Amino acid sequence: MEIDPVMMEIIGGFVPEAKELCDKVASEILRIEQKPDGPAPTADTYKSLARGLHTLKGTAATLGLDDLSTIGHGMEDVVAPFHHALGPLPSAVADELLRVLDLFMTRLQSHAEGRSGDLPDAAAIIGRLRELASSPAPVTIATPDKVAPAAAPTTGEESPTSARSPIPSASMEAPNQVDAVAEANVSDDQSGWRVNSRNVVALFREAERMREIRLRMIERRRVLDSTIAAVTKLATIPETASLYTQLVAIRQALQSDGEELGDMVDSLEGGIKTICTLPVRTIVDPLHRAVRDLCRLTGKEAALAVIGAELSLDRRILEKLKGPLVHLIRNALDHGIEPVAVRKERGKHRAGALVIRVEQQGNMIFIEVGDDGSGLDFNRIREVAVARQLYSSDELSRMTPEQVAQIVFEPGFSTRAQVSGTSGRGVGMDVVLSEVQALGGTIQVKTTAGQGSRFSIAVPADLGSSPTLLVRCGEYSFGVPVISVESIVAARRERIRFGDHMKLEHRDELLDLLDLGHMLRLREPDVPGEGQPLLIIHAQGQRVALLVDEVIGNRDQVIQPLPDELRSLPAYQGASIQGSGELLLVLRGDWLAQPSHSAKGVRSAARRVLVVDDSLTARAMHRAVLEASGYSVHAVGSARGALDQLRHSAYDVIVCDVAMDEMDGFALTSRLRAEPGTSTIPIMLVSMGDGEIERSKGIAAGADGFLSKKDCASGRLVAEISSVIARRQVLTP
Amino acid sequence: MTTNIPAARQDGEMITDSVRALLDARAERLRARLEMKAEEATVMVAEFRVGTEVFAIPLQDFRAGVPLKHVTPVPLSPADVIGIVRYQGRVITAFSLASLLRVQGWRMDPTVLLIVEPTPGHLVGLDCEQIPKPSTLPLAAIEKARARNRGAVLELLTPGLAQVKLLDLSALLASRMGNTDGN
Repeated sequence: MEIDPVMMEIIGGFVPEAKELCDKVASEILRIEQKPDGPAPTADTYKSLARGLHTLKGTAATLGLDDLSTIGHGMEDVVAPFHHALGPLPSAVADELLRVLDLFMTRLQSHAEGRSGDLPDAAAIIGRLRELASSPAPVTIATPDKVAPAAAPTTGEESPTSARSPIPSASMEAPNQVDAVAEANVSDDQSGWRVNSRNVVALFREAERMREIRLRMIERRRVLDSTIAAVTKLATIPETASLYTQLVAIRQALQSDGEELGDMVDSLEGGIKTICTLPVRTIVDPLHRAVRDLCRLTGKEAALAVIGAELSLDRRILEKLKGPLVHLIRNALDHGIEPVAVRKERGKHRAGALVIRVEQQGNMIFIEVGDDGSGLDFNRIREVAVARQLYSSDELSRMTPEQVAQIVFEPGFSTRAQVSGTSGRGVGMDVVLSEVQALGGTIQVKTTAGQGSRFSIAVPADLGSSPTLLVRCGEYSFGVPVISVESIVAARRERIRFGDHMKLEHRDELLDLLDLGHMLRLREPDVPGEGQPLLIIHAQGQRVALLVDEVIGNRDQVIQPLPDELRSLPAYQGASIQGSGELLLVLRGDWLAQPSHSAKGVRSAARRVLVVDDSLTARAMHRAVLEASGYSVHAVGSARGALDQLRHSAYDVIVCDVAMDEMDGFALTSRLRAEPGTSTIPIMLVSMGDGEIERSKGIAAGADGFLSKKDCASGRLVAEISSVIARRQVLTP
Repeated sequence: MTTNIPAARQDGEMITDSVRALLDARAERLRARLEMKAEEATVMVAEFRVGTEVFAIPLQDFRAGVPLKHVTPVPLSPADVIGIVRYQGRVITAFSLASLLRVQGWRMDPTVLLIVEPTPGHLVGLDCEQIPKPSTLPLAAIEKARARNRGAVLELLTPGLAQVKLLDLSALLASRMGNTDGN
């Protein structure tokens, strides 16, 4: 068929719409398919199916795609008798209709790509549909109140082009052809303009920047409030009274502008989100069919339930998650769900349960795919891992069950000895992992023998803001998603249990008590002081108590993902921009609640160095050199930070910059030497200069060594540190 | 002799051997100048010091030099990362150039963050002791160095015999791949 370029473009535009319609029609077919003890189909379901088929047919006819129009017409003919009777669709008929829907899409794609000449004749498909349509009508099971309006009888001999005729030709209660064309036009209107997704995302970023400006305005208003509060005290003086009045007027104007900006941002974001997002059901609905088809193939029974299908998510992420979800569901059905007989023996329902749960928390999307099957077979995984020389028996014996479970993501790994139509090639789970990682996400698996498995995917979303609790830990501030914070309690000595790990007695429960500073390798594990804030973190079914130095407050934050180089760090959700323009790191609730952190509470045997330098580069350089030499390094950016750190942690040596604001290295050294707890810690001063006067001043202040930053270049830092530690040991045996 | 040439041409006489020799010599000079121009082709670079060494990056990769402020350190990050910073509404990674280059030491604490674009659309920050100065490097020297070494750092001698290390930023950052786990 010759199609002109303009028409080809229009047909190309019809492809995504037809795909959506076919998915919808497929899910309606599954709904009315005959099931043992299943409910009778409703008139509404049939009506929706009829409209879907009719729109497909009508639009195809409008575009001159006669073959597709005729196929659509044939499908209508097949469905019509069942619709009249409101009877369930036999599985064989459902099979055929689903197959024809696939062929419809394949043919449409070929038309859109100008390859219609390569298409086989549609006569065979149409013939098979006519055959099905002419087979005996189903038994009527409808009750009177369910009976649908009478439909025009079908002849089954209409011309393929009859859909173009203004005379009604549809076999069901569908609207006439004029309506069909109008419906197609409406659909065109709804499909709107085709825009580059990059442009829309760029627009969204602008809206996010506007939101940041709004947040900064709130911050500025806080500053203004405190200025006004200070001026209020002086308001009785005539000179400041007018200033006070002006400031109050500015505050009101700022507030009003901020509110207006807020409304604009909300509206803009809402509009763009509508464009950028799609309901989750658009990717999970077709999975019902995949489950059904696989059940028919394997003889198993299973039902798929979806929680959170109505949630709207970034369509680019949904598109990329489609493949992993199909893999996981197929895998769960093929490997996890047992055959009916086995399930009955185990006292389970004959039909296996497959559950997809989708949830968005701030800028993180969590997707769980679970089944109530037999769970991962650890013995078999170990056997295969050894047989394929992925791991030795010795390595496997040292692995935790979680680590063994992760082996299923190894490329080419399969526990199936034989390749079947559904599995055994070992291609799938590694693809799932790589696709999730490509989105900057993670995947974890939890399994219980005989009870099933749960795969949990977490991927960052570009869109969205979320409430965050700001906390301080040493010199650093962090955000903690409010959704993960169950409560904040003040530490009480009598509620803390000491042992291998600290525990907190909280509401008749013993929770792991973790020090955020230690988890982030900022300090040695700290013991909470009386009244120090503890956050009760609850995420991914785990609950822990988290020690922080201060709770700063609660803010609504636009969280941006971390750059590619840092996205693999599991501790962070992203970063948000503060009123000052600085970035705040936002921690992940599920990372905070990981029980494995408690195992890290033990002090390392390596020598501990505290680096004190106000230069980020110097801290990074010292850390790189010292860690490479086996030291455990904590770094702070000021003398005050060092004093605070030394209250919590003990160090084998301090490497301190000389030139620092507020308190320089000489003053810090003198102060440390004056305090009993720190008087004998080896201290090495590092300075830009290497003059004798500076060196003598350092030694006089109590430093054990002095090195210029230029000397660090020659690799003397490590040797010098060893030397000052040794000297101090001689002095204070 | 030169005064005779126009006259001879005006008269439509044949070009004499001496004139031909003169024209050949002139053509030779022009050709030599063209070859010299090819040899003198240069690449614009931003030049700066790290420790005692002089480095350069192609100016086409360079986007901005901003004060090294408001960098948020990222605990648990790899040792060559000094933190994250906001640049034109984007969150980008700031690297310690000295760590990336494995230069152990520096003359002064960096005060500048160079914003560079090693691959299209991908911005990163590199700390630097001072604002780099614009300079040029002979293309021929770069090609010669590239023929010797295909790594991220090309060592070359400038006409003044100073040693400059030209950085291939995308290769330099690619070489740290796999070093992303700070745990």
